[in-house]
This record gives sequence, C-alpha cells and structure tokens, in this order.
Amino acid sequence: MGYSMASTPPPAPTPTPAADAEKRASFEREALVHLDSLYRVALRLTGNAAEADDLVQETMLKAYRAWHQYEKGTNAKGWLLTILRHAFINEYRRRTRHPETVDLDAIEPFSVFEELQDDDPQGTFFDRIVDDEVLRAIDELPEQFRETVVLSDVEGLSYEEIARVLEVPVGTVKSRLFRARRMLQGKLYDYAVGMGYIKGNAT
Amino acid sequence: MNCRECSEHLYEYLDRELTPQVEQEIRQHLSDCPPCGEHFDFERLFLDFLRARCRAEGAPPELKRRILRELFDE
Repeated sequence: MGYSMASTPPPAPTPTPAADAEKRASFEREALVHLDSLYRVALRLTGNAAEADDLVQETMLKAYRAWHQYEKGTNAKGWLLTILRHAFINEYRRRTRHPETVDLDAIEPFSVFEELQDDDPQGTFFDRIVDDEVLRAIDELPEQFRETVVLSDVEGLSYEEIARVLEVPVGTVKSRLFRARRMLQGKLYDYAVGMGYIKGNAT
Repeated sequence: MNCRECSEHLYEYLDRELTPQVEQEIRQHLSDCPPCGEHFDFERLFLDFLRARCRAEGAPPELKRRILRELFDE
C-alpha cells in the first residue's frame, strides 16, 4: 500500500555516459522539482533548519541511488516523502524530538466556530495572525498530527496519498486531520485572545 | 441530508474527497441551511489561511547547490 521500494528491485542500469545523462535529466525533472516540498516537510518534522538541510540532502541522495526503482511518471513526490519520512524516523527522530503516543479519544474537538459566534463569526482575526505564529502552532502538535496536517494543508496531498506515505489506513488520515485542524484552531484562537484580537468567552 | 450528516463530511467536502453525488447533496444542504453554510465557509477560510501562511518557505538556495554538488559532483 505504501510507496515502498519494489521487493525485487530491478537491476541498476549499467553506467554509461548516455545512461548517466538520462538518469540525471529524469531525476532533475521528476525529483529535484519537489525540493521545496521536501524542505518544508523536513523543517516541520525536525524542528530546525540545520537538521532539515541534512535530512533533505540525505533523502535526495537515497532517492538518486534508488532512482532505477522508481517507476517514472508515477507519484515522485509521494515516493520522495516516504524516503524522507523513513530517514527521519530511523536517524533523526531519536536525536531531535521524541515520538509521542496520543490517545485520540482524550482530545476534545474544540469548535472555534462556535466560540466565535458572538465575536467574530467570519473569522477575520485570522488575517492578523502572522506566518511564524501558525508554524509555531503546527510545531506544537503531536508528531502524528503534525505530519498529517503538513502533508494535507501545506503540501496538498490527497487522503490516499497521505495514507500511503504514512502507511496508515485512509480512515486514520481523516480522523487525524480532523483533530489536528481542531487543535490548531484552538491554539490560534487562544493566541488571538491573548493578543487581544478577539475578546474570547470566559469559560 | 440533515445537519449532522452534513457536518460529518465537513473536511472531506472541503478537501474534495467525496463522490460527485455526495458532494452535490452537501452543496444542496448548504444552500438550504444558512447555519451550516456559515460553518463550512468558516472552515474553508481557515484552511485557505493555513495554506497561505505555510507555503512561503522554500529550500534555501545553498541547500540546492549542496545537493547538486553531492549528486553530480559539480
């Protein structure tokens, strides 16, 4: 179901100058174009720019070595993100952040929309929240929510593509996305109340 | 379709993950039911806001140079 490497990988083509040139051209065309996406995801996973650089470089290196296993013209972005995520789990996570286990049922989906009914039902306060604050709110999410919301809302992957990258069922993607978005709304709402952008209801 | 069923499909609708038929049923409900319509509008605004705030960042040019050097020995 995932974007895994083929179980019996095709042999690497014999290197000749012409084959090398063709490999490089197709890698630039199909893989390197996703550099910005990989970097954004790496940054949210590792939480710092230096580690994100290293993680992306390692991902590109692994991808280039395994390029003959990638079926040309299919979903290169999903394939690359899978490599990146595996590299992160195997080599970076233990050094950077600890994986959190999350009890889904313990998260009360907070509805900001209902809170805003008397104050700002159109959500105009969003306009006053800057990029850094949003990224900080995403970074505070538990890892499994963070990676889901980044793949969906930042990188625009479909549920099916996210399920393949994360190697979970589509239903899990849906429920994580629902809770992640509600958690984000809650964080940004609290921030906006703290900044005085909206009054907030005393509870 | 009632309000509860409609809101169960909230994000699938906004993410364009539904079949055309269910999508049409929801669109119909949203035009008949202003409170649901406002809620969906709010959530759509939130998702647009999220995308707009997070996509500005790209890979640093030095990283790209580093990768090209590493891969192609440039």
